[in-house]
Amino acid sequence: MTGHNPPEDTQTTDTYTGFGNEWKPVKLSREDANLATAWVETRIDRREMLTNKDKVQDVRDIMWQLEKDGEIVVHRITEQHQPVTGKTLYGWNKRIPTNQLWHHKSCGQCGNIPGYPTSLLWLQNQLDIRYLDETDQTSCTAWNYHGSGVGNIVSLAAIFLRNFHQAYVSSVSQGLPPGYYFPLVHCGTSFGNYKEVRSYLLQSSRLREQVKQILGKLGRLVDGKLLIPEEIVHYSEWLHVMRERIAEKQVIDVSNIRATVHPACHVYKMVPEDVLYDDTVLGGNRVAVTTGLLQTLGVQVLDYSTWYDCCGFGFRHIIGEREFTRSFAIDRKIKVAVEEAHADVMVGHDTGCITTLDKSQWIGRAVGKVYELSVMADSQFAALACGAHPYKLAQLHWHASPFEGLLTKMGIDWEKAKAEFEAYLEDVKEGRIETLYDPKRAITSGPGYVKPQPALTEADQ
Amino acid sequence: MNIALRIGDPLSEAPAVNREKLEEIFEDIRNHQLFDHELHGCLNCGICTATCPSAHYYDYSPREIVQLLLTENLEGIYDAMQEKIWACAQCYTCAARCPFHNSPGGLIMILRETAIKHGMQSAKDVLKPYTRVLMKVISTGNQLAPNMITPDAFADWGPNIAKVKAPLKVLRKAIPMPTMHTMDTAWEINIKTSIELYTIWEATGVLGQLETIDPNLFDVVTDLMDEKRDEYEEWLEEQEG
Repeated sequence: MTGHNPPEDTQTTDTYTGFGNEWKPVKLSREDANLATAWVETRIDRREMLTNKDKVQDVRDIMWQLEKDGEIVVHRITEQHQPVTGKTLYGWNKRIPTNQLWHHKSCGQCGNIPGYPTSLLWLQNQLDIRYLDETDQTSCTAWNYHGSGVGNIVSLAAIFLRNFHQAYVSSVSQGLPPGYYFPLVHCGTSFGNYKEVRSYLLQSSRLREQVKQILGKLGRLVDGKLLIPEEIVHYSEWLHVMRERIAEKQVIDVSNIRATVHPACHVYKMVPEDVLYDDTVLGGNRVAVTTGLLQTLGVQVLDYSTWYDCCGFGFRHIIGEREFTRSFAIDRKIKVAVEEAHADVMVGHDTGCITTLDKSQWIGRAVGKVYELSVMADSQFAALACGAHPYKLAQLHWHASPFEGLLTKMGIDWEKAKAEFEAYLEDVKEGRIETLYDPKRAITSGPGYVKPQPALTEADQ
Repeated sequence: MNIALRIGDPLSEAPAVNREKLEEIFEDIRNHQLFDHELHGCLNCGICTATCPSAHYYDYSPREIVQLLLTENLEGIYDAMQEKIWACAQCYTCAARCPFHNSPGGLIMILRETAIKHGMQSAKDVLKPYTRVLMKVISTGNQLAPNMITPDAFADWGPNIAKVKAPLKVLRKAIPMPTMHTMDTAWEINIKTSIELYTIWEATGVLGQLETIDPNLFDVVTDLMDEKRDEYEEWLEEQEG
């Protein structure tokens, strides 16, 4: 970790103190000004910035009580999911399932950054992880809600419960018992939204009653009860607890790569108590996911002064008011990462952030802000380090930011890889398509579904 | 006259919005089932505004929103609902840092929902560029589709939206996850899933919200939903047959 220093030419004579007409220059010496700034920085960059409050409740206590009272059923993480325990903001345990995973996709990733999820599934193939990527799921619809205000807590909760119920029963389509797969959430906003919605559900009997009627109508209750997952798990948490095993598959030395990390707001600011922190990663002062993975791969992770800022996505702004989005992305993130950290790449763990930071650079030329920084998801970077094809697997051609220089620095011949991919596109046109899993598995009911043979066992999957 | 101009414009000669209307709006805010979860008190410390990305670029302050609601400043709340509430970027930095456990970002969502409920012209105006997205998410459950990313719609993203020149359909087929070989949704969605989603929209009042802010869009979306339901019914009948 490399720190940043305040500019040498910090001039302090024009700082002010007091209120209203009482404002006057404080005339601090540079030494005193640095002391004051350091006082703020020791707090601003520390975990206590998020923990300086009381009355924080672990809603899982309510969850277990509701299950005991017979009101809900908990989709439990069991030994079959091979859980690894991590620590969250307050030091609470969080069990991360590492096998038998139900991929809950992200509409922004799948629509716009397809290499993000394909890299994740490719890594899981390398590690012999069982998973299901199926068609019976909607997005969480929270991007829309936060952008437009169309939607409400009841619709968000009903969609959460519907999707997670499907995750629970999906294995039945393969002749396996319910609960075999545990949901792994791809999108940061889905993760934040689902954490928040689960918390509301556990705290509000009124909300539970409202959604129970809807879920009942959909046939999405278990023994007449709401099904609540034991944990809401983000894919970046899976990468974090699997980072040592991923590093065992590494084939490219990335120790010469300078990376900045953009921690996603909806991952660690929404329900901040429920995401992984790790004392071995940045002293436990920042969210551990992504940074821990990069450091394990040997990357130089650089600090920068605006690490805590959002990306500028804004949910509504990225659609209809991109002046804000691109200004914020360039001025507060890209420019800082380039000028302060001299980064080769900015790595993130959320859909909207990757989109914003990747796509907002080109327009900076219109106002003389010419910054070029490769932007990608942690799953893509890890897959590249493990030898994934940059186009066929990491699908980097969908990115607008310049990744070619980064690949060259990693020792990857991107021109050769691009030519290979273009040749592969000719195969695709002829219907010769390579996939990460058997496409038949993606359909678990309705048109196109084929019932498994009675003799089908787990070993056949 | 546009009612939105009357409050917050000291030069306007228009009469203020009547008190009953302001109280009705505030009652809806106050009675929102998350209101007490999002607002607890305020030290006026301003850490929310200091760390707010939108405060960098807009006349917007999460501290002000909290104060207006705490002090029940009905005119100020109504004024903020005309424009300011749409500046929030929904990052929840304010909520994460508030020592009082307030969520100004969450309060903004209550105000946005209320603005829609009351059919405020400001909400209709601000959501006009959002029409395509609303149609997509309500009718399919996906907010974004590959064929929505066009150079016309995203000119400021530059010429490199795809760095390999090939038809979109071919590029999509070259993605190694079979569920993503789609053009008009981000992934292939089971028709049964869509039908279940429509039931949720109907049962939770979301279609009513849509009708309030854009009746034409509501008509288009409900037609699409009817078509999809007919399609599914036909398939079910085929199975029985």
